[in-house]
Order: sequence, then structure tokens, then C-alpha cells
Amino acid sequence: MTRVRVLMTLAAVAVAIGLYFALTAPLDALQGEYARLLGVHPPSMWVAFLAFGVTALGSLMWLIKKTERWDRLASASVEVGVIFTAIGLFTGMVWGQAVWGTPWDWQDPRLMSTAVMLFVYIGYIALRNAIDDPVLRARRSAILGAIAVIQVPLVYFSVNLFRTLHQTQSIRPDGATMPDEMLIAMLVNFVAFTILYVALVAARIDVAQVEAAVAPDESLAGDAVRPPRLNEVEDV
Amino acid sequence: MSDSIVVAGTYLISYGAIVGYAVYLHLRRRRAGG
Repeated sequence: MTRVRVLMTLAAVAVAIGLYFALTAPLDALQGEYARLLGVHPPSMWVAFLAFGVTALGSLMWLIKKTERWDRLASASVEVGVIFTAIGLFTGMVWGQAVWGTPWDWQDPRLMSTAVMLFVYIGYIALRNAIDDPVLRARRSAILGAIAVIQVPLVYFSVNLFRTLHQTQSIRPDGATMPDEMLIAMLVNFVAFTILYVALVAARIDVAQVEAAVAPDESLAGDAVRPPRLNEVEDV
Repeated sequence: MSDSIVVAGTYLISYGAIVGYAVYLHLRRRRAGG
């Protein structure tokens, strides 16, 4: 069994356990069934923050070491982070509709900063796809990955810094703002989603390694081996 | 629509996106010859 399959199996088991805890946690007196979204909304945003933090680390390490593995880690982590940010926004909108009466507020700092973060990292993926040269691609995306992480604390602390519909942090130094059963259900899902994140990033890095082995970047060898393009052939 | 159906649908879509991404990676790796 390969490393990726072991991680994926572990992740599937962990997520199934997390789902059990989320769906058997007691209902909230005011929010009812919607409190069960604790099992997917906060863990998704945690993974998004973790993913973009790892991207920043990979980006900085690439800028220092210039080795391909750091570039692969950074780019794989962004893809996973974007998916979990989108899930966090989607689940938050469903929850917002139920408890705030609206899924979205264009003036809300937490919602808007999260949306901007999502689009910046979609831009990161677009940037990578726009550059053929692997070294140039790695350098430019590393610079963006190292700078873009500044959004993570901005999003996280936006509920403390500004007036927003979103509640402040549920886990504080003086204790949690929810019963133990709900807290345990949420924390189990934090662990499960973290394992899922590791498995997905490992799988994405594995894909990148196999693709690089099958078709290494032509531009590494320069224009000398570049096949002629159709318009160049016609000009002759 | 009952609250439990909305919550179940939200879970289904969220988990579906994750499974979809995992399947996409699997197919991409297989196409690359892995």
C-alpha cells in the first residue's frame, strides 16, 4: 500500500468518526439542527488557514533553498486550501441564512476578507498556470505565497477588530462558549480534517511528481529543444 | 424545507466537493501513468 493510500484510508476513517460525533451532538436550544454545522464549517476554515500557512512556509523555503519539493508543497497546499475556503464560505452562508437571516453581507469584514482571501489564492493558481518556465513560475508564486499569508491573521482577527455579524472566537483563554459535547464534536472534526488535509496534499504532490517524471518541463532545457510551432513552420 | 434536510444537504455538498477533488487527483495520476 502506498503512502498516499494509507493516508487516504486514515483520513476516511477519521472523517467518518468526525461525522458521527457531529451528527450525534446535542441540538442547540436556539439554532437547532444548524449547530451541527460546527462539524464542517470551523474545521474547513481551520484547514484553509493551515494550508495557506504551509504555502507561505513552502514559498519561503523555496526562496531560500530553491529546491523543487518546496515549490510542490506550496502549490499543492494552495489547491487544498482553496477547496476548504470555498467549503467554509458555503457552509457559513447556509448557517448565516439560518441565524442572521441573510447568507451574505457585502459590508461584513469577516465575510469579505474571507472572500478576498479565496480569490487571491485562486489568482495564485492562475499565476502558476500562466507561466511555462518552472523556475520563473516557482519564484513568482513563492513571492505571492509568502505575501498572501498576511490575509490569514486579518481574516481570523477580523471579528475582534471590526463590527461584524460573525461571532468572536468560540474557544478562548477563559474557556469555550459551548457545551462540552459540542466542543468535543468540533475538536474531533478539527483532527479529522487535519488528517484529510495531509492526505490530499500528499496525493497532490504525488500527482505532480508522477507528471514531472513522465513529461519533464521542456523549458528546463531551453529553446534548443523546443519543437517548432505551426506558425513558424508556415513562415518557412 | 426542514432544517435537518438543509444541514444534511450542506454536509453532502461539502463532502462531495472533497471526494470529487480526491477522485480528480486519482484520475489525473492514472492518466499520467501512475
